[in-house]
Amino acid sequence: MSATDSRDLRVVGKRVPRVDAGERVTGRAIYPADLVRPGMVVGRVKRSTQAHARLLSIDTSKAKALKGVLAVVTADDFPEIAPNTIIPFGETGADTWVSAVIVMARGRVLWRGQPVAAVAAVDRATADAALDLIEVAYEPLPAVMDIQAATRPDAPLLYPDLKPKGFDGVPAVRNAASRTVISRGDTTAALASAAAVGEARTVIDTGHQGYIEPHACVAESDPTGNVTLWVSSQGGFQTEIQTAVILGIPQSRLKVVPLEIGGGFGGKITVHLEPIAAKLALLCGRPVKMVMSREELLSGGSGPAAAARIDVRVGADQDGKLTAIDGQYVFDTGGIPGTPTTLLMQASAACYQCPSLELDGYDVMTNKPRTEAYRGPGGIQAAYAVEQAMDEVALKLNLDPLELRRRNAAVTGSLMPIGTAFPPIGLTNILDAVAGHACWRDPLGTGALPRGRGLALGYWRGTSMTSAAHVTIAGDGRVMVTMGSVDISGTRTTMAQVAAEEMQLPLADVYVAMGDTKSSGYSDAAAGSRLARTMAAAVAFACQDALAQLKERAAQRMQCTAAAVTYGDGVFRTSDDGGASISIFDLMRATLTDGAIIGRGVSTKLPLGVEIGAHVVDVEVDPETGQVTVLRYTAFQDVGRALNPAAVEGQIEGSVVQGLGWALTEGFDYGEDGRLRNASLLDYRILTALDVPPIEVVLIETPVPNVPYGVRGVGEMPIVPPAAAVANAIRRAVGVRVNYMPMTPERVRAAIRKAHG
Amino acid sequence: MKQIISCRVNGEARDALGAGSETLLEFLRDGLGLTGTKEGCSNGNCGSCTVLMDGAPVCACLVLAGEADGAEITTIEGVAKGNDLHPVQAALVAHGGTQCGFCTPGIVLSAVALLERTPNPNEQEIRHAIAGNLCRCTGYDKIVEAIADAASTSTRTP
Amino acid sequence: MGEFAYRRPQTLAECAALLREDGAKALAGGTDLVPQLREGRRQARTVVDLKRVQELTALERTSDGGWRIGGAVSVRALGANAAFAGEHAALLASARLIGSLQVQSRATLAGNLCNAAPSADGVPLLLALDATCDIAGQAGRRTLAAAEVATGPGRNALAPGELLEAIVLPPRPARTAARYLRFTPRREMDIAIAGSGVRVDLDGDGRIAKANIVLASVAPVPLRATRASACLLGERPSSTLFEDAATIAASEATPISDTRGSADYRRDLVAVLTRRALADCARELGVNLQ
Repeated sequence: MSATDSRDLRVVGKRVPRVDAGERVTGRAIYPADLVRPGMVVGRVKRSTQAHARLLSIDTSKAKALKGVLAVVTADDFPEIAPNTIIPFGETGADTWVSAVIVMARGRVLWRGQPVAAVAAVDRATADAALDLIEVAYEPLPAVMDIQAATRPDAPLLYPDLKPKGFDGVPAVRNAASRTVISRGDTTAALASAAAVGEARTVIDTGHQGYIEPHACVAESDPTGNVTLWVSSQGGFQTEIQTAVILGIPQSRLKVVPLEIGGGFGGKITVHLEPIAAKLALLCGRPVKMVMSREELLSGGSGPAAAARIDVRVGADQDGKLTAIDGQYVFDTGGIPGTPTTLLMQASAACYQCPSLELDGYDVMTNKPRTEAYRGPGGIQAAYAVEQAMDEVALKLNLDPLELRRRNAAVTGSLMPIGTAFPPIGLTNILDAVAGHACWRDPLGTGALPRGRGLALGYWRGTSMTSAAHVTIAGDGRVMVTMGSVDISGTRTTMAQVAAEEMQLPLADVYVAMGDTKSSGYSDAAAGSRLARTMAAAVAFACQDALAQLKERAAQRMQCTAAAVTYGDGVFRTSDDGGASISIFDLMRATLTDGAIIGRGVSTKLPLGVEIGAHVVDVEVDPETGQVTVLRYTAFQDVGRALNPAAVEGQIEGSVVQGLGWALTEGFDYGEDGRLRNASLLDYRILTALDVPPIEVVLIETPVPNVPYGVRGVGEMPIVPPAAAVANAIRRAVGVRVNYMPMTPERVRAAIRKAHG
Repeated sequence: MKQIISCRVNGEARDALGAGSETLLEFLRDGLGLTGTKEGCSNGNCGSCTVLMDGAPVCACLVLAGEADGAEITTIEGVAKGNDLHPVQAALVAHGGTQCGFCTPGIVLSAVALLERTPNPNEQEIRHAIAGNLCRCTGYDKIVEAIADAASTSTRTP
Repeated sequence: MGEFAYRRPQTLAECAALLREDGAKALAGGTDLVPQLREGRRQARTVVDLKRVQELTALERTSDGGWRIGGAVSVRALGANAAFAGEHAALLASARLIGSLQVQSRATLAGNLCNAAPSADGVPLLLALDATCDIAGQAGRRTLAAAEVATGPGRNALAPGELLEAIVLPPRPARTAARYLRFTPRREMDIAIAGSGVRVDLDGDGRIAKANIVLASVAPVPLRATRASACLLGERPSSTLFEDAATIAASEATPISDTRGSADYRRDLVAVLTRRALADCARELGVNLQ
């Protein structure tokens, strides 16, 4: 489909330094917290001190009277948004009601830290003083802080009027918003007759995306009511639509300008501060900057990753062929319903060919911050259960765990859990690569402490949605690409590679800009491992469109037909009059004022680029303290084609370490009162450079047909297997399963105690 | 009450007003407009605001602005000499050691401080030197490789 | 966060005078105090920076061969003194567990002591080494055992107007070893779930002449495990003996359960860490443990 499929690639597939690395290493890259606008003031949020309460009244009069306070807002200053106010987002849309409740509580609070009011003031100290002067009267309501408490038959109902979906003919689970079932074959019979049944009963604590840049934005309005928002977001257009709906203003009044994003990982798709900042700016007529503190961000200001309870049984026959996967997946959506379990349930069973499946998923509400997306949302939790159950099958059958996977691996054309055939995948190649690699063949080695090696597979479906780019050609023939999306992980660099490849020009002749919502075409947010893949397609299409226009123009200059014009390496040539030629540079110099060349590229619903990989980890366990040390880590992944191998490795390495964090040390600790007891980066323990070994990455390339360059998603899958791989390694080191994530030293120690005394 | 704080920042004498309760981080970002130093936690737990104070790496959020009076401060804006990147910066670019870039300024200064005292660090020493700088994107590998490369580059050049 | 004034006196007398004022707080490294003030966990009207007072920044040998560590000497400065680093490697290693390198550029042992966190990594060995503290005030100077400084979580024995002028380490005995081990989920940038600092002196006969075991994070203040220490006295080092001492130390701990760990886990860790720290000391003293 790409113009370049037939020849060797010159720029795509090469290790190219990021085009914007220079500004990053010199501190020049601008994030919203760095922006200063004339007359700018500070916005701050008043947050709920209750986990669940009716809001009886909010008295802002004293705060408004404080010198230096410019505006105070509560939910009363925003139009009321009804549930199911669906805005465009990908294939399914998104409910702005959810965003609106996250942005500002109305009538009741559903978690500690949910915003109840906000102020704009001349400085931070005045704003904070004003927050203290806002009087909020709460009528406390009973709160449920985890899945167990929420699903008890006598638990208080968070949404008494909500009609749970998917419980046709069966009694609803208390506080469940929805149930999803994937079913085929007879698992009951298959499990009863299985030669071996591996089981995992797991509990997973709430985690956090842990981006290092706290949420921040700047809003500015002009006297006619036009608003500009500078944001750190995974999607400028998603921010614009959500904000416009929440404020009740037309999108034509709102421009969203994405600045650099200091990490998102799913947590910067939904708006948090942006509509508040915009409203405050409109009210006070001054630019308003809002920056969350780390404590605010962790305790209710942003949406964490879902806690879960997952029980899985995997059955196999004597030959190690799977006969059944039976799983119950209960996810903690937090204070607002609507965290679907479909994708992660599919993911949990996708790596294997299995005749019978019974997957049962629940979306349960608790008085915690609303769960938001986190890198392969739910995939980590699901793999943690399924891959441990697989390991148990291997142990019971006394079968090599890699061999068990090879006997059951999904292949191109085999049945996916949803019942359709797999598009081309390279799982078999991945497993062959593992088998031949030193990380699997080397002996574990011995040390003072017991060691174990764990294997886990991962799958993530990803998504495609829509991406747009346009290409203009400068007066000197150079190429400028404007993307409708943000740069999430080196996107400008990979798109420059794609444009250079398509235009057959050196990388230095391409400039890629991140457009704002008034200068670029609609693109969905960077989510679901979709951006590099679908934006590469959009850029390729835009370049091809521009080249077609340039050929017309070259034909006029060379007085031939466009069909007779060929293009290569920056030069247009004609075949029918003895080799006239004109370079793209000369062509543009000569014809710029004939009108702009604008190439348009839109890619929508591109074939999926499913991600599959296998991870191998060696650990050492100190049985006396429960300390787990990761000694060696190798990640194998089919990436379709690596547009920039350095960037792809970086994504995988980062993803693995992030996964190891939740596996071992990261987890929210909520008190009964709904307070987060570890709301700092001291006690929410993101791993440091000393806690991890080098991560070896092995790339396998099975291109996706009908996708320019055959690119697969990359960024989400590699966070899926680490926790499961570590759990399996611990099992093989010390003979126990912790079944409780994060597998903190105390939990590992407790599991060892329980097993061995 | 505000007081005048006089210090050398990136080799230049700077005088600016700062409140007693203001941190060096606020002084640098808001007072001097040096926004390359990032605020990630304001608690000394993430290292995003690492600067050099009299040659030692510190978290600017844990230092009061007044303490900087008379001190020599190096921020990320002062690491490159004009367009000449410091070897650490050049190596981070070449190795893909910066992704979202938010932790990068702090990492650069921790690495610069390391190479000042340990010109030929081993992998463990590099990891130890940046253990106070949290990075959520890279998994640290390419940062560690870059610093090792920068060390060998700077020890090769006289 | 409340606003406060920042003062930087040049002499001890000025410090003492300023610290007598209502709401005055002494600032050494500031790595605890600054975030505490900014998050409203402590209040101050004036912050008195000690680092411009010459006596407070001095690290010097005492006339009897011990060391005097000024109240404003950073961990980084301790490490930069080769003689000190050689003689008190274990104490220095414990101080190098405080926060990150960035924190150690500022943090002081005196501040670690006065901040009075039960988890302070720099403190157990100060106690185990029988350090004393010179406390300066307007009325003059008094001496306090390091063990008497912390009186509860975040509380210390200093009166208004007083400051910790110097920590004094007695001369090092001939055959002595010390070791502080702590347990944290992360290798660095973490707070001890439990810690154990031990110091063992041997007599000419190879028997334990003195032993101090001091525990972190298992009591309201750094805890001297006196019974465990006593059981070692007069004995020859052995695995069984250390096992017994470790078990006793665990029984002396009075930990709480919080987000960092349960009381039971902390007690278990005390036994493990104490046994391992004692064994490390024996190894350093050239004793083969049976």
